[in-house]
Amino acid sequence: MSYEDWFRQDRLPHIYCAGCGNGTIINCTLEAIEEMGWKKEETIFVSGIGCSSRAPGYIVTDSLHTTHGRALPFATGVKMARPGFHVIVFTGDGDLAAIGGNHFIHACRRNIDITVVCMNNQIYGMTGGQGSPTTPKGALSTTTPFGSVEPAFDLCELAIAAGANYVARWTSYHVKELTKAVKAGLENPGLSFIEARVQCPTNYGRRNKFKQVLDQVEHLRSHSMLRQKYLQHQERGDAVPDGTIVVGEFVKRNRPSMGVPR
Amino acid sequence: MKIEIDESRCKGCNLCTVGCPYKIFQAGKKPNRKGVLVPLLDRPERCTNCRLQHLYGRVLCGVCQMTCPDQAIRFRDEKSGEPVKVAIEY
Ligand SMILES: Cc1ncc(C[n+]2csc(CCOP(=O)(O)OP(=O)(O)O)c2C)c(N)n1
Ligand code: SF4
Ligand code: SF4
Ligand code: SF4
Ligand SMILES: [Mg+2]
Repeated sequence: MSYEDWFRQDRLPHIYCAGCGNGTIINCTLEAIEEMGWKKEETIFVSGIGCSSRAPGYIVTDSLHTTHGRALPFATGVKMARPGFHVIVFTGDGDLAAIGGNHFIHACRRNIDITVVCMNNQIYGMTGGQGSPTTPKGALSTTTPFGSVEPAFDLCELAIAAGANYVARWTSYHVKELTKAVKAGLENPGLSFIEARVQCPTNYGRRNKFKQVLDQVEHLRSHSMLRQKYLQHQERGDAVPDGTIVVGEFVKRNRPSMGVPR
Repeated sequence: MKIEIDESRCKGCNLCTVGCPYKIFQAGKKPNRKGVLVPLLDRPERCTNCRLQHLYGRVLCGVCQMTCPDQAIRFRDEKSGEPVKVAIEY
């Protein structure tokens, strides 16, 4: 048995562009689920709309590919109706934080027992590269042709403030760490939120000075800083370089949650 | 056990060339039938997982397989009678 058994082999290769990080995140998530020993008949994937949200279509289990931004309400429905099922949501930064932003905070507040994996490429990939709420300041996109002037959402801090029980962030470079984090999220009752920072070479990279996919992945690697180290920096009052990606486990707690099987 | 790249899936992104501690995956130079530059394997018998998976009963390393966004990298056992190369790098 291996994570490869969770793929609909007849649907591969998928439609993602060459070098798109989404496929890596699917691998890691399925590996974590495989390690949990869950049955395929009792596992359900839910997603909204976007490149990232196409993920459930490549997986053998039952799934819901819903409307843009609404993966979490559908997932909430599934989990409340059938608490015995394992519910995993694949979503993108636009899907989760723009059109679905309100659902995100309320799902965290309710602390529904589901696991949310967000492939954050800091852009609307599917529709041609419009800026999203996580597009960093200064970044070029089709809607920010002179560089974004808005501050970006920190999705992890948002999830923590809203009440999620487990929160972690890794990147598509950190495949082992990401797999462990997803597994920890699957094990923890309540809403688990895992942000995976990924490269979108087609609509983000090529407009933002990443000529090669590898340049963008190298950026993810070299700009990552472990949360422990980041906190030490803060304690000492040291400045953290711009564009630092804080990675690691942010929160693991046991607030009251909904939809946990009795 | 040996590494295989499925040419019908590989999109030539070269992400596998970064993670491997032995640098087994090298950027390809010749386009295949689909025009994809599939990476080449440099002495793949050095791979930790190929050497030790059966001994330990679990996947060791496996970083290339997890990283490949196109599910193109596979480990498979040699067919019976197929020669097996062994190499250990210190
Ligand atoms: C109600 C509605 N509004 C807008 C769209 C158009 N739309 C499709 S995907 C998308 C953005 C997706 O961005 P993200 O969630 O970050 O996914 P990515 O493609 O980057 O993985 C938008 C705006 C839509 N399908 N439905
Ligand atoms: S547009 Fe971006 S996110 Fe969408 S498949 Fe291509 S690289 Fe991936
Ligand atoms: S990571 Fe996968 S798709 Fe990319 S070049 Fe290597 S084998 Fe091909
Ligand atoms: S399993 Fe590890 S050692 Fe073996 S080829 Fe892949 S990355 Fe290299
Ligand atoms: Mg996106």
